[in-house]
Order: sequence, then structure tokens, then C-alpha cells
Amino acid sequence: MNPVIDYHALAPEIVLSVTIILCLLVDLFIPDRPRLVPQLASLGVLAAIIPVLTLAVSGTDVSMFGGAFVVDNYALAFDGLFLVVAYITLLVSFDEIADGDYYGGEYYVLLLTSVLGMVMMASSRDLVSIFIALETISIPTFVLAGWRKHDTKSNEAAIKYFLIGVLSSAVMLYGMSLIFGFANGTKLSVISEYSAGSPPALFAVAIFLTIVGFAFKVSAVPFHFWAPDTYEGAPLPVTAFLSVASKAAGFVALLTIIRFGFFNSSDSWQPLIWVLAAASMTFGNLAALRQTNIVRMLAYSSIAQGGFILVPLAVAGDVSGPSAWEAVLVYLMIYAAMNLGAFAVVMAVSRRTHSTEISSFAGLGRVDSVNAVMLSLFMFSLAGIPPLAGWFAKFVIFRAVFDAGTTAAVVLGVIAALNAVVAFFYYSNVVRRMWFDEAPEVVSSPRPASVALTLAIGITVVVVVVVGVYPEVFARLGQLAFASG
Amino acid sequence: MWGQQVVFWLLAIAMGAAAIGVVRSRDVVHSVLFLVVVLAGAAAQYILLAAEFVAWVQVLIYIGAVVVLFLFGVMLTRSPMGHDSNRLDNDQRWAAGVVALLIFGVLTALLVDAFGGQQINFGPELVAQGSPQAIGSDLFRTFIVPFEVVSMLLLAALVGAVVMARKD
Repeated sequence: MNPVIDYHALAPEIVLSVTIILCLLVDLFIPDRPRLVPQLASLGVLAAIIPVLTLAVSGTDVSMFGGAFVVDNYALAFDGLFLVVAYITLLVSFDEIADGDYYGGEYYVLLLTSVLGMVMMASSRDLVSIFIALETISIPTFVLAGWRKHDTKSNEAAIKYFLIGVLSSAVMLYGMSLIFGFANGTKLSVISEYSAGSPPALFAVAIFLTIVGFAFKVSAVPFHFWAPDTYEGAPLPVTAFLSVASKAAGFVALLTIIRFGFFNSSDSWQPLIWVLAAASMTFGNLAALRQTNIVRMLAYSSIAQGGFILVPLAVAGDVSGPSAWEAVLVYLMIYAAMNLGAFAVVMAVSRRTHSTEISSFAGLGRVDSVNAVMLSLFMFSLAGIPPLAGWFAKFVIFRAVFDAGTTAAVVLGVIAALNAVVAFFYYSNVVRRMWFDEAPEVVSSPRPASVALTLAIGITVVVVVVVGVYPEVFARLGQLAFASG
Repeated sequence: MWGQQVVFWLLAIAMGAAAIGVVRSRDVVHSVLFLVVVLAGAAAQYILLAAEFVAWVQVLIYIGAVVVLFLFGVMLTRSPMGHDSNRLDNDQRWAAGVVALLIFGVLTALLVDAFGGQQINFGPELVAQGSPQAIGSDLFRTFIVPFEVVSMLLLAALVGAVVMARKD
């Protein structure tokens, strides 16, 4: 009795694995062509998008290994998101890695392995697969965060991220092992059946431990303290990857495990996620107000944005339709575009100023008006101002809150609305300094931004503007992803 | 059943004492050796539960590989060896102790509430579940995708370790 394996459904994973091995071999045997590995890596990611598209067109759901690995619209939507984010991360990495006398080939191997974990995560419907996918995402990024080996800040970033990552995995595994003990199976469908009965109090604790593990990964308050230091110390492309791709993968894991596994015991997870969401939004925003470094500000802002993404999950049990799930997907897609864009502009500007302090952005409007316009667009989008994509992300969140309509949901909605106002201050502060302050004297030698970095900024800005004006694009995608569920 | 109960408690007490030794010891090498006792105790518990294969994997991987790796790590890096009471301790030991006791208490109460009074039925079915054949069949049928992805993960971990360790 051999398992039925559909290679078409596994094609994105297979293409990525082959690319990883090719990158290693090319780096080993053709060392005098340093640009070959990055090109190969980005080709591999683009090639992995092709089967995602063909699977989406074919439209049939594939379920393998007794429902442990499922390729449906839900999985494909997130596969697409991860692969596009990976491509943009590669685009912003080229300059930074080539200039900084880093190990080039190994960087791309590790980055792609992390992406492989993400693509697997989207299809996993089983605790073992979800755990392995999460580790495959995290372990390469521990090393990537410390890529600047001679910089003590980068070392600190890697060590903090590693210790917290390992601790959170241990907590999560303990919770998962208890759940396995209760449900007598690791498949989410089995757990869902079990939780429909009347499980004992310990089952709620097991859910609590599992979700706490994920809360570390998505840096939700109060499990966020590693994030600002790690984001600041890691190389900028890695920070962009951590704050977008790795975070999105954590949310996908949370979404999958709640939607397919824990949904019936919403009494256990809804209050927990409610607290995490409210604390993340409030604390993230208040801390972001005080930052003088734009990377640290973006780190706290991403904690706050993570809180917004938790809002629809916190009310999901009371929403009858799929609007809460759709809100998570749509918010993640828009957040990915605007946050990656913001990081790409920060990278382009810091190539000239060699600084990521907010003061070094003063007067950017006169010195480099194109980048100043771009960064203003991303900042206003992150703040949620129409007609940029950010407003639609906020809109889907509030729609889910209204669909739920319970008192807890409304209170959370009010907290979210207040936080959106607070966030406006620090985002607009950056914009104000760029356009109204005098530029400081720049003494350092500028390094021009490459075509790849410009392309990354171009792609993200197009998404932010087009989705802001025609939100139907992402709204339709969200509906398709959850149509059957 | 009495025999199993007695062996379980002997092992559990030994493991608990050794676990305290791991965190109390002032010498890294002693900590690692205490850890061997804990891990071996876990392996023995697996045998009590008729999970032979997992027990031997525990011995081979944790005692055989992980502990030896710890010892090599201590030996090859400039870690503090011998008695150095300040480096392995810090001011938060009492807070940590309280937290540990609290978690122990809560989990014990809840575990007894959830599983107290249940008996494991050691029939041939249970023994067959822990056999290498059953585990191999699960691994290569149900869990083949995670299994293959783990191999990519190990490759990445290897590459990452080389990058971190390489002199430049």
C-alpha cells in the first residue's frame, strides 16, 4: 500500500529543492562567477510560481497522505504570496550581499530553504508537517540574522533570535504533544473532531501553549522583545524578510491550526488572541512613537501591524462567513507589499547616507525626490490613508469585526481604531522630516541603487497604488481562496 | 503492573534529581553528565511504554550524538571549565525556581484531572505500534513530505554551521 503522490501538486516544493541544490553546486564549482547564484535563485523562485499558477487554473483540490498535505486555493494563495515576497527579497538582497563581503552563495541557499518551509507550511494540515515547516523557516533565518559576523549587533541579533526561537519551539512542541495525547492523532481534522466533544481543562492549556509558541514567531506582545534588536542588528534584506515573509508564515500557521484544528474550542483561543492583538497594537504603536532609528521604528510598527492581523483571528469564532479568514489573507498581502517597499527605499537611501537614523532622512525631498515620494507613499499606506492599499487592509479588518458583532469584538475594534490614529503620528513624522526639514551635510560616498533594488521598489509601489484604487483585485483573491471552506 | 509502577517511580526520581543537578551544577561538564542521566532515564521510560525503537533512537541520538556534541563544544571553544561559581549562575535563580514550581503544580493538577485513573492496556497491539516496522511505515507513507523537507533543513543547517564556523 504505497501512498499516492501527485507530483504536480508537489511541484513548487520540488522546484525549490532542486534550485537550492543547484545553487550549492554552482557556488562550489563555478566560484569565479559570483552573479550566477543570485540569478539562479531568482529564476528558481519564478519557476516555482509556474506550477502554483497551473494548479490554480486546473482548479481541483489535491489531498494527499490522508489529508495531511492539501493543495487547494487556500494553500495556493499563500504559496503565491510567499514566492512573490521571496522574489522581492532576492531583488533587494543582490546589492547588499555583493557589497558587504558576505558569503554570497550560502546566503541564497539559506534564504531559499526558508522559502521552501513557507511553501510547505501553506499546504500542511497536520501538526508534524506544520512543526517541520516552521523549523525549516526559522533555522536558516537564525544564521541569516547573524550574517555580518564581525558586527557585534548582528551577533546579538542572531543569538537573541536563536534562543527565543528555540524556546518558543519547545513550548509549542509541549502543547502539540499534549494535543496529540488527547486527540490520538496529529491531523488537524482529527483534532477538530476531538475538540467538538467536551475536552478537559488540560486541552485548553495545550492550545494555549501551542498558540504562545506561534505568538513568539509572529512577535506578538508580550512575546515580542527579541524583534526590535534582531531587526536592527540583522542585515537589512534579512530584516525585510523576517518582518514580512517569516512573520506571514507564522500567521499562516496560526490561521491553519485555528481554522482546521481548534475552531470548535473557540472559548480557549479567542480570549488569548484578543489579548495578544490588543497588547500588540497598543504597545507596538506606543513604542514606535519614541524611536529615532527608522529600522527600529519599522520593527515596532510591524509588531503593531501584527496586532491588526490578529484582530480578525480574535473574532473568527463569532463570524459566520469566511470574512475573518479573508481579512487575514488580504491584510498579509497588502502588508507584505508596503513593508517590503518601505524597507527597499530605506536600503536605497542608506546606500547614500550610510545611516538608518530618521534624522538622516531629513530633507530627502530635495536631495532625492523620487525615493522621498516612494517612502511617503509607503508610510501613508502603512498608516492606512486612502487611496493607498493600506486603507483596504484596515477596512477588511473592521468588516470582520462588524460581522462578528459581539461586545468583545466591538471593544477590540475601538482599540484598533484608536491605534490607527496613533500610528498616523509616527508614520507622518518621517514624511514631515523628509519634506520640511533641512538636509544634513552628507560626507560619505554614495553607492547608487541597482536596477534590482529599483525594480523591487517599482513592483511594491505598483501593488500599493493599484490595490488602493482597485481593491477588488485582492478582495476577489481572498474570496477565491476561501470559496470552498 | 506493580513492577512497572516501582520502576517508573525509581526512574522518575532519578531523572528529577539529575535534572536539578543539570541546573545546579557549577561546572558545565558536570551539567552535561547529569543530562546524560536524564536522557537515559527518558529512554528507559520509553521501554516501559513498549516503545523500543524510540528508546534506542533516544539513546543513539541524544546520548550518542547530542551530548558528545556538547562535550566537543565545551572542549573546542573557550567555555569556562572547572569550578567557576559566578559564570553559571545569576540573580534570577529564585524567580526561576518559583516559575518552575508553579508550572509543575499547574501541569500536575491538570494532568491528573485529564488522565488520572486511566490505565494503559499493554496488549500486542500497543507493542506493535512501537515497532520499527510501524514507525518506518508511518515515516515513509504518511510523513514522507516532512521527512524529505527535514533533509533539506539539515543541509541548510550544515551550510549555516560552516558559514558561522569558517575563519575569514
